[in-house]
Amino acid sequence: MMPLQAPISPDWLALTPAIVLGVFAMVLFLLDSIDPDESNDGLLAGVATVGTASAMVVAGVFLLSGVGAGEGVSVFNGQLVVDGMALFFTFIFTSVAALICLASIEYLAGTDDIAGYYSLVVLATTGMTVMAAANSLATVFVSLELLSLPSYGLVAYLKNDRGSVEAGMKYFLIGALSSAVFAYGISLVYGVTGSLLLPDIASALAGGETLANLGGLLGVGVLMLVGGFAFKTASVPFHFWAPEAYEGAPAPVSAFLSSASKAAGFVIAFRVFTVAFPIETVAGTIDWVLAFQILAVVTMTLGNFAAATQENVKRMLAYSSVGHAGYVLIGLAALTGQGSGEIVLGAGMIHLLVYGFMNTGAFLFVAMAEYWEVGRTFEDYNGLATKAPVACVAMTVFMFSLAGLPIGGGFLSKYYLFAGAVGAGVWWLAGVAAINSALSLFYYSRVVKAMWLEEPNGNLGGIDTRGYPTGLYSAVMIAAVATVLLLPALGVFSDVAFEAANAVLRLGP
Amino acid sequence: MAAEGGIFTFAPAIAVLPFVSFLIALSAGRYMPKKGAFAGIAATGGSLLLSLLMVAQVASGHAHHMELYTWVGGEGVPFELTFGILLDQLSTLMLVIVSTIAFLVHVFSLGYMNDEGEPGLPRYYAELGLFTASMLAFVFSDNILMAFMFFELVGLCSYLLIGFWFRRSGPPSAAKKAFLVTRFGDYFFLIGVVGIFATFGTGMFGGPGVEESFPVLAEEAMSAMAAGEAMPEAVTTFFGLSPGAWFGVLGLLVLGGVMGKSAQFPFHTWLPDAMEGPTPVSALIHAATMVAAGVYLVARMYGFYALLPTLLAIIAFVGGFTALFAATMGVVKDEIKQVLAYSTISQYGYIMLGLGGGGYVAGVFHLTTHAFFKALLFLGAGSVIIAMHHNEDMWEMGGLKDRMPVTYYAFLSGSLALAGIVPFSGFWSKDEVLYETLVHGLGGSPILLGAYLMGIVAVFFTGFYTFRMVLLTFHGDPRSDLAEDPEPVRWNVKIPLAILGTLAAVVGVINLVPVHAVVGAVPEFLHDWLFHGPETLNGAHYEELTEQFAGYSAGAIPGLGGLGTLFASAGVSLAVALAGSALALGLYRGPDPAEHTEKLGALKTVLYNNYYQDEYQVWLAQDLTEGTVAGTAKRFDDGVVDGLVNRVSDVSLVSGYFLRRVQTGIVSNYAALITLGLVVLLVAFGIMGGWFGGVFA
Repeated sequence: MMPLQAPISPDWLALTPAIVLGVFAMVLFLLDSIDPDESNDGLLAGVATVGTASAMVVAGVFLLSGVGAGEGVSVFNGQLVVDGMALFFTFIFTSVAALICLASIEYLAGTDDIAGYYSLVVLATTGMTVMAAANSLATVFVSLELLSLPSYGLVAYLKNDRGSVEAGMKYFLIGALSSAVFAYGISLVYGVTGSLLLPDIASALAGGETLANLGGLLGVGVLMLVGGFAFKTASVPFHFWAPEAYEGAPAPVSAFLSSASKAAGFVIAFRVFTVAFPIETVAGTIDWVLAFQILAVVTMTLGNFAAATQENVKRMLAYSSVGHAGYVLIGLAALTGQGSGEIVLGAGMIHLLVYGFMNTGAFLFVAMAEYWEVGRTFEDYNGLATKAPVACVAMTVFMFSLAGLPIGGGFLSKYYLFAGAVGAGVWWLAGVAAINSALSLFYYSRVVKAMWLEEPNGNLGGIDTRGYPTGLYSAVMIAAVATVLLLPALGVFSDVAFEAANAVLRLGP
Repeated sequence: MAAEGGIFTFAPAIAVLPFVSFLIALSAGRYMPKKGAFAGIAATGGSLLLSLLMVAQVASGHAHHMELYTWVGGEGVPFELTFGILLDQLSTLMLVIVSTIAFLVHVFSLGYMNDEGEPGLPRYYAELGLFTASMLAFVFSDNILMAFMFFELVGLCSYLLIGFWFRRSGPPSAAKKAFLVTRFGDYFFLIGVVGIFATFGTGMFGGPGVEESFPVLAEEAMSAMAAGEAMPEAVTTFFGLSPGAWFGVLGLLVLGGVMGKSAQFPFHTWLPDAMEGPTPVSALIHAATMVAAGVYLVARMYGFYALLPTLLAIIAFVGGFTALFAATMGVVKDEIKQVLAYSTISQYGYIMLGLGGGGYVAGVFHLTTHAFFKALLFLGAGSVIIAMHHNEDMWEMGGLKDRMPVTYYAFLSGSLALAGIVPFSGFWSKDEVLYETLVHGLGGSPILLGAYLMGIVAVFFTGFYTFRMVLLTFHGDPRSDLAEDPEPVRWNVKIPLAILGTLAAVVGVINLVPVHAVVGAVPEFLHDWLFHGPETLNGAHYEELTEQFAGYSAGAIPGLGGLGTLFASAGVSLAVALAGSALALGLYRGPDPAEHTEKLGALKTVLYNNYYQDEYQVWLAQDLTEGTVAGTAKRFDDGVVDGLVNRVSDVSLVSGYFLRRVQTGIVSNYAALITLGLVVLLVAFGIMGGWFGGVFA
């Protein structure tokens, strides 16, 4: 592929992935309104999968052909910017969404309003894609809500299931609280700097005069923004919704929220803090690096410790997802100015990419177990490998890769994160992460042990009677292959990620 | 890269072809005629052709380096881990050797394995293919990490092949021993690899187009220190050691892997046991792959070792001692493959002696000739073993000369080469090894004379055990019914023997040093070949390095001059070899030779038991390590470590339960906790950042 010499023209074409997603969401609505009563499960799933997958291909092509190279393409007077980081994250979101759409066919069989489900998934993905490109606090907020509202609906999608509805309600309430905090934070920042555009905020703060006069106000605003991000990324103390929502929601939705939605939270956090509040400028007033260090340590420790005591596999995965948010927070917490910032930030991005596959895969495996009506606890998984060995190999890959063993890409991405932290002089952060990682091996291997070493409990009959769900099974396999391949092939993505991180960091003064 | 690379573009195929044959034999071998043998033969034949093309290309002055894949790397990462191919004079030569022998071993296996109706043949050919592929990839590796990876794969494959007959009792245990002993050495090698990366930031060997290579960086550091300047920035040493001392540590660590693989004292114990594998595999292991990998690595990074006189002396002494030590054990063995096993250890000792004694060309020369004559001897022994229905005891043989003439003459050719009798190939190369060590010993490094002395004494034993083996096997009257009426062998055994028999006799012409000294018109091909390698990877450069850093210079026996010394050395080694052979002829000639080992008295027991090497190593491993050290470690582990871990897991479980209690399921609690958390953060950062003005100041 030849790198394009000039940026894409006209500019708005750089938003093609988001446009493709939006169009496909409309197509889903259209199909549903033409034929609302018929159940065209396959057609709807196909359209949604094709839509997300084609957005993924476009993002991948853009990424590799250098559309977002350097400072990227600025759209709508700088409200949106499509750069390497935006495209990288778009790739993560759309690939996870494609897996989810593929995996949902059998899971949703027999439920109402399947078109609604798929259009919500596609719309949420559109929101994420816009979040990745959002370059002003206004677009950040709008796109965040464009993601959040469909998410609430998705969690509560199983209308007749108490757990699903309750989880959706809680998610919505906590979300409303967080959005309020976030919006208030935005208003404070605007009040201090007089702008919503991220680069303009940075230049308003650059002189130091504003900070001297209104530093306290800005500090409160920035911490409130941290709160908003913490909600979306399920970081402590805004994580309370996560275990309940993930457990109650349909398993593919849990996969979607814990992989893609979390990554979306991180992309705006990465961009807002590195572009609008360069740490060199604001360190004296609000040392957000320290704030993220605290959050990282607390989040990963709480997530892993809580995961270790769960009996329910899905809930264990929910807490492990909190723990992984803690690891990725290192991407911001190690931007100490020492060492190489691009490695730290890039490592966070790479971990989210790998996590997108291995965590989605793990949740989809749980979805498959639910489809087989195996049960939810570790004991229920006993002897699963005797009936479904290939799927269990895939699950083993996910578990060990999540723990950071060199069987999948999770090993290298964690290695980059820890190495970045050490390089940035916060070796203690890497140490805490390593201890947590070791602890996580304990509960991940419990799943593996149950599947391979224990005797079946006689609850595996569903595998024979219900058979293999084609879409779900292939999504699990695709995720497993991708996880394994990301070990040798991570080089391709790591270069892109480091370059993108470098471009974002260079925007500072 | 591809455009200018020309024929080099196909270089990866040299290793990929046998790998494909591995895949084919593994997946479809069952359904193929000859169970996958033809895939292996075609693949190794293809590798051989490509290797020859590479030699031709390199001969026209085009050493080549290419990078295939960057595995870990990027702008901010301190070093790159890559896969690449280095084709220079040394590696292409070795590629030809390895692929030739692998090819012949595949053909021979048709006779040894297929015709004998062995089960599990697809597995055999698959493992053989992977073995060849790993060794070929090891040979053309352009950096030490890649070399290490394939070094390990070679070790794994030899484990699989030695244990091929895993249902018998001997092979699995022999395989395990080979694996563990070499792994012990490789452990040090691995640390050495990490050390090299940490020290130099690169593991490249060098070659055209390579900007930074660790031997060159080491050389620069040593020169800078010698001149009293600051060290180059790219080099970091550790533990406050001077570059010389630290590089010595690194060199020793890598040498651990070398000595394990090349079966140098005291890591030689695995090799005689490895005879439990099928004989063609022994040929491959001894001649071209596993064992050769160790010394090849020394030759590959000779630019590094040449800087370190202590290391060179250690290599020379280990080599000389191993040569002598193994040769003395070879004289009492009763089984034909055992004699050959000890001769392998001994001959690799010579190669080490040559490399350590400053004879880079001599070492590589002996590696080359040995590859051919030792492959020949093993395949010859394999032919005898087929004929004897898998009885390997030489005292049951005798008189096979007339019954299997092709095998006899081929084997005799290999034996004359092994014993070092002029004009067979082994004479020229062994003589050069000894000569180089002698002149450097005389020229200011007297310590090498000790190693030389051991080498020359070993020549006597070599001649003795070689001819004892030939006489017992082929001469005299048949001593058993099997030997009376041996099973005939077919073309697929005879042709490899004939080819190798010829090679073993004549391959010495590639470096006729003494002849060249008298008649200048006779070229020293190998010498010229290796001296014209790429910059920093050629013999001339190594000679400068050994002279500058190790103080090696050529001396001469007083009163004889250079030429005189050359001939005196050749004369002495030939005379000693002839003396050893003559003693064997005297003792074991005649129709019904007697066992003379009784005359050795108590020494015989010691030799039969291989100097109790196995016993003391078992004691080290079992009583000392498992008993004392492991016992202490276990007490520490149970008490301190487990105790600590248990406390930690107690704490984490308790706190986990606490966390579960916080997660009440009531959403208003969550909202309260979130708000509280945010307020705590706000207050803490507010105080720190001084947002509240003078209130808390």
